[in-house]
Amino acid sequence: MLARVANNLFWMGRYIERSEHVARYLNVNYFSSLDAPHQLSQSRQFVLRSMLYMVGLSDGDESEELDEAKVLYKIGMDPQSEFSILNNVKYARENANSARDLISTELYEAINKFYHFVFNYDSNIYMKNGLHDFTTNITEMSAILRGKMRGTLLHDEIYAIIMMGVNIERATQITRIINAKHHDALKAQGSYGDKFSNSYEWTTLLKCAESYDMMRRFYKKTPNSISTLEFLILNPNCPRSVMNSLNQVYKHIRLLDPSKRYNKNSTAFLVGRVRAEYQYKYIREIEEDIQYFIKSILDSLSEISEKMENEFFNY
Amino acid sequence: MIIPEENESQDFVKVDFSTSVKTIIEYSENGYGFRTIRVKSKEPFDKISFEARIRLVKKAADPFKSINLIEDPAISYSEIQTLLFRIEHDSFLRTTDLTFLPSKYATLFTFDKEKSIFENLQALNQFIFNYVSFKPNMTDVNSTVAEFIEKKQGVCQDMVHLFCALARHNGIPTRYVSGFLHQGNGYFGDSQMHAWSEAFIPNAGWIAFDPTNNILANNDHIKVAHGKDYSDCAPLKGVINGPGTNKTQYTVQVESQQQ
Amino acid sequence: MGKIQNQIFSSYQRNPILYDEIFDKQGTIKEVYSRLFELYGGHTIKEYVKLNEKAKSSFFNQGITFQVYNEKETMEKIFPFDLFPRIIDQEEWDIIERGAVQRSRALNLFLWDIYHDKKIIKQGIVPLELISSSENYLDQMVGLDPPGGIYNHISGTDIIKHNDGKYYVLEDNIRCPSGVSYVICNRTALKRALFGVFNHYKTHAVTNYAENLLDLLETVKPQGVDLPNVVVLTPGMYNSAFYEHSYLAKTMGVELVEGRDLFVENDFVYMRTIRGPEKVDIIYRRVDDGFIDPLEFRADSALGVPGLFAAYKKGNVTLANAPGTGVADDKAIYTYMPEIIKYYLDEEPILNNVHTYHCSRPDELQYVLEHIPELVIKPVDEAGGYGISIGNRLSKSEIEEVKSQLKSSPRKYVAQPIMSLSVHPTYIDETESFEQRHVDLRTFTVLGQDRDFVLKGGLTRVALKRGNLIVNSSQGGGSKDTWVLKK
Repeated sequence: MLARVANNLFWMGRYIERSEHVARYLNVNYFSSLDAPHQLSQSRQFVLRSMLYMVGLSDGDESEELDEAKVLYKIGMDPQSEFSILNNVKYARENANSARDLISTELYEAINKFYHFVFNYDSNIYMKNGLHDFTTNITEMSAILRGKMRGTLLHDEIYAIIMMGVNIERATQITRIINAKHHDALKAQGSYGDKFSNSYEWTTLLKCAESYDMMRRFYKKTPNSISTLEFLILNPNCPRSVMNSLNQVYKHIRLLDPSKRYNKNSTAFLVGRVRAEYQYKYIREIEEDIQYFIKSILDSLSEISEKMENEFFNY
Repeated sequence: MIIPEENESQDFVKVDFSTSVKTIIEYSENGYGFRTIRVKSKEPFDKISFEARIRLVKKAADPFKSINLIEDPAISYSEIQTLLFRIEHDSFLRTTDLTFLPSKYATLFTFDKEKSIFENLQALNQFIFNYVSFKPNMTDVNSTVAEFIEKKQGVCQDMVHLFCALARHNGIPTRYVSGFLHQGNGYFGDSQMHAWSEAFIPNAGWIAFDPTNNILANNDHIKVAHGKDYSDCAPLKGVINGPGTNKTQYTVQVESQQQ
Repeated sequence: MGKIQNQIFSSYQRNPILYDEIFDKQGTIKEVYSRLFELYGGHTIKEYVKLNEKAKSSFFNQGITFQVYNEKETMEKIFPFDLFPRIIDQEEWDIIERGAVQRSRALNLFLWDIYHDKKIIKQGIVPLELISSSENYLDQMVGLDPPGGIYNHISGTDIIKHNDGKYYVLEDNIRCPSGVSYVICNRTALKRALFGVFNHYKTHAVTNYAENLLDLLETVKPQGVDLPNVVVLTPGMYNSAFYEHSYLAKTMGVELVEGRDLFVENDFVYMRTIRGPEKVDIIYRRVDDGFIDPLEFRADSALGVPGLFAAYKKGNVTLANAPGTGVADDKAIYTYMPEIIKYYLDEEPILNNVHTYHCSRPDELQYVLEHIPELVIKPVDEAGGYGISIGNRLSKSEIEEVKSQLKSSPRKYVAQPIMSLSVHPTYIDETESFEQRHVDLRTFTVLGQDRDFVLKGGLTRVALKRGNLIVNSSQGGGSKDTWVLKK
């Protein structure tokens, strides 16, 4: 496989995954805020700030009144905004375009439909009353894409590269979501006991990761900070957890680099190291200093991404 | 980079090539069959320099010797008209962008059909030498014959293009030669790079004329390559990948040693 | 024969001067189209409009689009596609196929000759000026033997049917002819919209193009290579034919590379893969001659590979088509095709050339002067359609003017009969009905060593503007699925 095209596929995976997480974050936060128990959680301003914080845009001065339509437009459909879902989908397709000969027609057509859906969506409708429809469609279409990747591609190097992109991005986005919701939980605390730990925001967090129902099944009690973080960071069976993503990254880098030789400079070595670190962590260690966790996992993920670039994309 | 060719008057001995940056050095051949050295850097660089030391032996050859002095003009002129001759020398009879002669200048120099082709070409050589003067920085590598005729000032490249244009217009196959000139004999010419022309005379072959100096090329002329015009035989060519601007600089030194 | 109740054709107007592909002169539907005509007649206009929309979205979803730029945004457009297919029966196709191969073979021998001994010029059959005045003649190719002796591996032959019912070749495209992917996409789109109609006809498949292309390219591999590594070289995803490049790479199962993915080392070509360099042996290049190697041709080309030509010259890589083939598809060469075919193959041309009168020949000039209203007068060194006079559109005084020009400088002109492209019922969006539109046909021929292949189908291009004869997609042309029937 061409190095340049491998790079394109890697980023195609990342952009698809990214647009899905941003869309779901918008959807879940907006709609769960409507009937949230906490007053602040219900505040529209609070939700809009949380959205901006998650995509990495400045959430502005607290005193400044945010315009809902503008914020939604900026994150969702603004062609000028690098972070917008629209641009993520556009980049995903551009990357797919240049690797079009390597991926299945089915996958390409699905990406292309995805692109046309987003680009033909009326932004006025989106800002007025289309948020639910728009974001739900995006999450559903990305689910279709995941299915097409798994179901129509040969599970070879090409697939491994895409899955590396998808999973590195997933771990990154889940971490960013945790960061944003942690930030929110500090502000919108619960009404009893450990107020931070019992914030409603933990439920929202789980919903943002489509993991609420399964988390309830697993713990059989209301989510609190510890159980939520444990589930989303360390539980290897939760498909959206950081741990699961790292396992996936490890599995696929092994496909690209099956060498058993000790090579501390390889990407595979680095992935293994990062994975092992989280495999044997206690959630208390993480919760004690969540900011430290967020910073170090994001650093590790970008280091993995950079190493990949040097090892595979740079001939 | 094109390595000087091997021909009747020069034997190639050896080339030492070195670069400042770690590179792959390859010996190859370009589309016209001249030997080249190709250098490719694997790593990005800000600056790169090359040095090529080439050793050649020039053989004393009397250019007059090969010319049939009893060249019969009538026979020569009718030969260059024949289809076979024109097919044989087609590429050096063709006009190119750089040697295009606007029709208003077609009579700038006319052949005297009473005289031999060789004599006419010598006259052409002299005509150009007198008609225009050597002055650097008046023209550039893309200057056309028309611009040069208007300015009447330029460098060897322009003179050779004019020579080619006028000789070809009169049916004589003519080629552009790039090479180096051994300085020190009071010659005109860029000290870095020189150019002259070769014209084909029936029964005699290719004869080299240096219109910049109004002489026939001799032992001081080290030929690198020839082509239809400058663009076919630029001795150095490069491709740079990357943003930003770049500057190149080069110097040539020719030294002679008696054997 | 009773008139078929056919509502979607109810307003179809037949111009009796034009050759209609589906109706004969009396207005009776031709045998081979009758079943199709009935089937389409079963639809109401409304249903048809819907089907048409469906076909369009099929193109959008497949991403078979090209981009149009303006100041504000880039727009994606699809090539207009017509749902009513063109049918060519086996007998007619046989002529087309043999004719296309004959032309490609003759052109290949011609190219070999003009880059070697130039016998055809020495014998005075083709004038030297035709070669020496051509910008597409590459001196670098002189004396070079392309692997397998093939220059024009892929040819696209543009053929029309004149109102005499005969096929004529208008042009041979042997640089980087494009359009083959649309043949296949048109078929896919038609199948998606109207799969039912295929049950009633035995049509040759068109999806076997890529495998044949790959097989034939492998026959011209460089010497000493066992299992050649084939790639498709594209200028990149912003090229208007990028879809086709990726389609071909995908269906051949080979890598689609850009210039920057390749490099030359010791006169061998390599591509940069995730596992390091991998040698490349055959390049199906869709980059024009001038851009393939900045060291040899245009120095400003960012699309090419430095050193590629040197590797080619050494015989270490095959380029398809070979550099310098463009010289043989110049318009001036076209007029000599009958002579070229006779000279190299000792055969009569199977497909007609549009007859060309060289005004430089006195007897032909006389004919031209007497028949101007029936002829198109073209300057020999025409470019971009300038200076063309169409005889039947000239006033009396204009005719006299043309005559005096011809008399004063006869060498400058050639003349050809005015060709009338056949018409085919085509669905027109604006009027929501079928109308006659002019069509041509581009066939695709692949030459290999001792083997050849013609795609059984081809691209039927339609001039969508009424009365327009220009079918090029850049000029608003559309296309049709083309069925070649099995025996």
